[in-house]
Amino acid sequence: MKEAYIVSSVRTPGCRRGKGAFGQTRPEELLVQALNGVMERAGVGKEAVEDVMTGCAFPEAEQGLNIGRVAAQMAKFPDSACGATVNRFCSAGLEAISLQAMRIKAGWCEVAIGSGLESMSIVPMGGNMPRPHPEWAKECPDVYMSMGVTAENVATRYKVTREMQDEFAYHSHMKAANATKNGLFKEIVPTQAARYVEKGSTWVKETFTQTFDDGVRDTTTIEGLAKLRPVFSATGSVTAGNSSQTTDGAAATLLMSGDAVKKYGVKPIAKVIAYAVAGCRADEMGVGPAYAVPKALAMAGLKVEDIGLWELNEAFASQCIYAMQQLGLYDKKELWVSDSDKRIININGGAIALGHPLGCTGAKLCAQLMTGMQEKGAKYGVESMCIGGGMGAAAIFELCE
Amino acid sequence: MQRRIRKVAVIGSGIMGGGIAALLAGAGVEVLLLDIVPFDLTDDQKKDPKARNRMVQAGFDAALKSKPPLFYDKKNDAPMISIGNLDDDFNKLADCDWIIEVVVENLKIKQQLFKRIEGVRKAGSIVSSNTSGIPLKDMSADLNKEMRQHFLGTHFFNPVRYMHLLELIPGEETLPEVLDFVANYGEVMLGKGIVWAKDTPNFIGNRIGIHGIGKAMQIMLEDGLTIPEVDAIFGAPMGRPKTAIFKTSDLVGLDTMSHVSSNTYDLCVDDEERDTFIVPDFVKKMVENKQLGNKTKGGFYKKELTPDWKWLRKVIDPKTGEYVDLDKPTFPCLDAAKQCATTAEKLQTIVYGDDKGAKFAWKVAAAAAIYSANRIPEISDTIVEIDNAMKWGYNFEMGPFETWDAIGVEKSVAKMEADGMAVPANVKKMLASGATAFYKLENGKKMFFDFASNGYKPMQTSEKAIVLADLRAAGKVVKSVPSCSLIDLGDGVYCIEFHSKMNALNGEMLDFMKEAGEYVKENGVGMVIGNQAGGMPGAFSAGGDLSYMLGLAKAGKFDEIDTFIKGVHEGIMGTKYAPYPVVAAPYGLALGGGCEICLSADRIVAHADLFMGLVEIGAGLVPGGGGMIHLWRNFIESKPGVGKITDLAGFFIQAFMSVAQAKVSSSAADARNNGFLRPTDRIVANKDNLIGEAKKEVLKMVDDGYAPPRKTKTAVFGREALGMIWAEMLNMKSGGYITPHMEFIAKKIAVCMAGGDVPQGTLVSEEHLMTLEREAFVDLWRTENTQKMAENIMKTGKPLFL
Repeated sequence: MKEAYIVSSVRTPGCRRGKGAFGQTRPEELLVQALNGVMERAGVGKEAVEDVMTGCAFPEAEQGLNIGRVAAQMAKFPDSACGATVNRFCSAGLEAISLQAMRIKAGWCEVAIGSGLESMSIVPMGGNMPRPHPEWAKECPDVYMSMGVTAENVATRYKVTREMQDEFAYHSHMKAANATKNGLFKEIVPTQAARYVEKGSTWVKETFTQTFDDGVRDTTTIEGLAKLRPVFSATGSVTAGNSSQTTDGAAATLLMSGDAVKKYGVKPIAKVIAYAVAGCRADEMGVGPAYAVPKALAMAGLKVEDIGLWELNEAFASQCIYAMQQLGLYDKKELWVSDSDKRIININGGAIALGHPLGCTGAKLCAQLMTGMQEKGAKYGVESMCIGGGMGAAAIFELCE
Repeated sequence: MQRRIRKVAVIGSGIMGGGIAALLAGAGVEVLLLDIVPFDLTDDQKKDPKARNRMVQAGFDAALKSKPPLFYDKKNDAPMISIGNLDDDFNKLADCDWIIEVVVENLKIKQQLFKRIEGVRKAGSIVSSNTSGIPLKDMSADLNKEMRQHFLGTHFFNPVRYMHLLELIPGEETLPEVLDFVANYGEVMLGKGIVWAKDTPNFIGNRIGIHGIGKAMQIMLEDGLTIPEVDAIFGAPMGRPKTAIFKTSDLVGLDTMSHVSSNTYDLCVDDEERDTFIVPDFVKKMVENKQLGNKTKGGFYKKELTPDWKWLRKVIDPKTGEYVDLDKPTFPCLDAAKQCATTAEKLQTIVYGDDKGAKFAWKVAAAAAIYSANRIPEISDTIVEIDNAMKWGYNFEMGPFETWDAIGVEKSVAKMEADGMAVPANVKKMLASGATAFYKLENGKKMFFDFASNGYKPMQTSEKAIVLADLRAAGKVVKSVPSCSLIDLGDGVYCIEFHSKMNALNGEMLDFMKEAGEYVKENGVGMVIGNQAGGMPGAFSAGGDLSYMLGLAKAGKFDEIDTFIKGVHEGIMGTKYAPYPVVAAPYGLALGGGCEICLSADRIVAHADLFMGLVEIGAGLVPGGGGMIHLWRNFIESKPGVGKITDLAGFFIQAFMSVAQAKVSSSAADARNNGFLRPTDRIVANKDNLIGEAKKEVLKMVDDGYAPPRKTKTAVFGREALGMIWAEMLNMKSGGYITPHMEFIAKKIAVCMAGGDVPQGTLVSEEHLMTLEREAFVDLWRTENTQKMAENIMKTGKPLFL
């Protein structure tokens, strides 16, 4: 098999659903700017790209009609650049990158973009018209279960306490606040957005540039988090504070074969060396990474200790903690707390602080991981997440010398 | 020139000002709410418009937050109100058609304010004061003539939305045109009951009311009764509100009450009962100690939390001023009164009893009667104004003269004389003339005794204000059974009047409605379903009587329940498709079956204070009278025919949640927002006019050419709804938000409202939906849990969640 190289990987800021900066910006416009950004950073002309694949968890309405193709056209890629939409919920963006990597590895393609997009403001989680199958919903509705309830199940079944979850959430915000303050999110492309404002009796479209993630709360305290009420269960431990934020955002990664890297004279960042998905019970979907990561590591012939940098999606503190426990990482607090120099897990915070724009997340974490691996010189980086319906996904990247 | 009220200024944003502003906004008027700039601003704050409006903003926010709600429709009414302060926004008064002063009770401040208003108001605008105690003539003496001609007292009662009374006090020079206009506006647009008062201290309601409270305290101390004893007597048994004397004072505030009392003492120097207005020492001490009632979380009564988290109810002992444990006192006369059917019989039993409580009740009631009669013509020209003021402003079931009639005027006067009480001359004169009651019916017309002419005069009421009790007394009842009557409203319109306990529906009523329907078909042009039960808010119909079906269920006679519901459906649909128009006139509580009766009517003419909902789930049931069918039809059919609904869920979820969560509206406007009232249904501000307006609606429908509704099919959400609800129920169950049997019932509701297992958009008949409803209903009765829930709500009035 050939190698698949990541040449460039970028993201828009992640902004809070509704009142956040992208609340009224069409999703296509977010994706177009991520696509433009990744091409500009790579310094390669758009005519090189054969295909744009976009991960999206609710590819309907404004995100529908094959957003991959629509956005490529809006970004002025030539007609020859194809487009597709892929969906594996929260790993959709990583799925798009992996599919492109596989096509390159198989020799079916030389240059391609894997991307991700979600405007949770505009297309709600669950979609505009959720329609569970009536008979199946009676027989076994688990596959339709609210993500929050699955997080509660993980917390109760595996004894992840409220205190553990709140502490984890606190560190996520602190790490993200530090990264924002120090400009560590080098993968962010400044993104044009618009908001509609009523002035007198008319509505005016105001445009502005957004450069940072707007959900980070640098003033959060563990005591403050402890005061929040559980939202998915009357007696539960999962709160708005220790869950990921619902967010808008887009991200894109340009991949090339070895031949293409030479042809265009670019310096690749990393190789995609493994991608695995693993299934689990739908009513505790958060445990997915605990199965997917070992599967991917086995594929690559690596061990947990070999990994220099981790991006474990913080869908919920409960599930992320459980996955870390299973990988033997949670008890080594120095690997993840905000005040440790040795940290290698979610070093700049995770979705609890930075947001989890569903279908975009896989592509977004890749961009963050690429920045981090280059910064730290980490040889191997892993990105993983849990997936609604009962799955986990994990990918391993190897830094190019 | 046609006078119109388009913009009103309310000056003073306290509890009364805020309430008046909310009421006016509900009537669709632009309101400017003003208050003073705070005195304590720093130099920086003095330049900040927000800081300058801090007082009025706080008042407005308090009105928005108040419970029970002062607004009928917060979302749409609140934007009608703009706020400002008396320094920066005073010139805006120039645009106002009516300026209402509701500032602090201080003559000097009021005089200064009116002088300023005089300088900016436009000619012809109405100016009124909501003062409760300060003489109007003192406020207006310095104003120019044109302003005095447009100046009057408009005294609202707290809480403004709920208290029916509006006292109007003409000034000496107020133009009759202005008085007529405000009276009509108050009645029709603001829904108030108008009482004409004279410019005497505290007008009518508070003068009589505060005397009653003062007298009760005085005699309580003399005779050595306790506070709970007094309240046990002067509550429901005497036709008074449950809050009786002392709980009402806690509600009003002991400071306000003391202020009204001493104000009366100061101003009414010649009052023969002046001593009554001296605030008792133990109350004075409580005011000093800031034990002011509910607003300070402790007045005459107080709730204390014990270390083991239980609420302990305490009450003041007037002798010691200390709180003591509260027990539930009773007297033989009260036990005897419990057996009486009517309030009049209860009153007689109590005041003519011979225990300690009865003697107390007699002394206080006799004193109130004598005091009221002595106030004519001082505070009012007629007895009617005094009775209305007490009924509408203090929620008495009967005013002092109606009470006097109920206990027998001759009998009571004889007892008063025997007890050495001074019987008023005007009453003696009335008895001497041969008249033995203050009110009587003559040729179906209600008459009152007029002291001035020493003879009866007809009551002046608006034509719309139909009083069913009067029609009943005038022999207009066509048919009647114990729980229900058919009354001839005239012009071919007949009214079905419920009169069961809380007007709950029962089998007898349903049978009667069929029979009444036949009668109207033969003899009338249309039907009103309405009644006039008392109370605040009162109950149009608070649900269905479950005992019959519970009995069937316990005996395992489920086939009979099935047959019963078939009968209910036939009755409801029979009314719906009758060849004459049917208008329901709900007010207050319209719950469960009471709501369903309304939903099946051609039209609803509702009172603004409407608490409507399908609450059957609380009794372990689904609505069984077509309520879900009609609510869903309201949702899905209130759109132009060509409009296509792509997402039925957007409609279904809300309709389903209304029933599954037993949502009750907070007003008629809210009921419209929730889909219970259709765009064609009307909201009437004045409860007294409700039956009259409903009758008018029937006649208009007849006049316009009436044809019964066509039997059309309805689009349903079908199986797609079931998928959604079953999936969501798993989340609720997992989160511990729903108990197993509630989940079971909610799923039944979903099946009924979705039209069962059919593809979305299927057009189904009402018969199909009725079958689903009946099946669900009977299935639920088969369960032990539903039987337990029904039994519990019958016994305790509270739902049991299983």
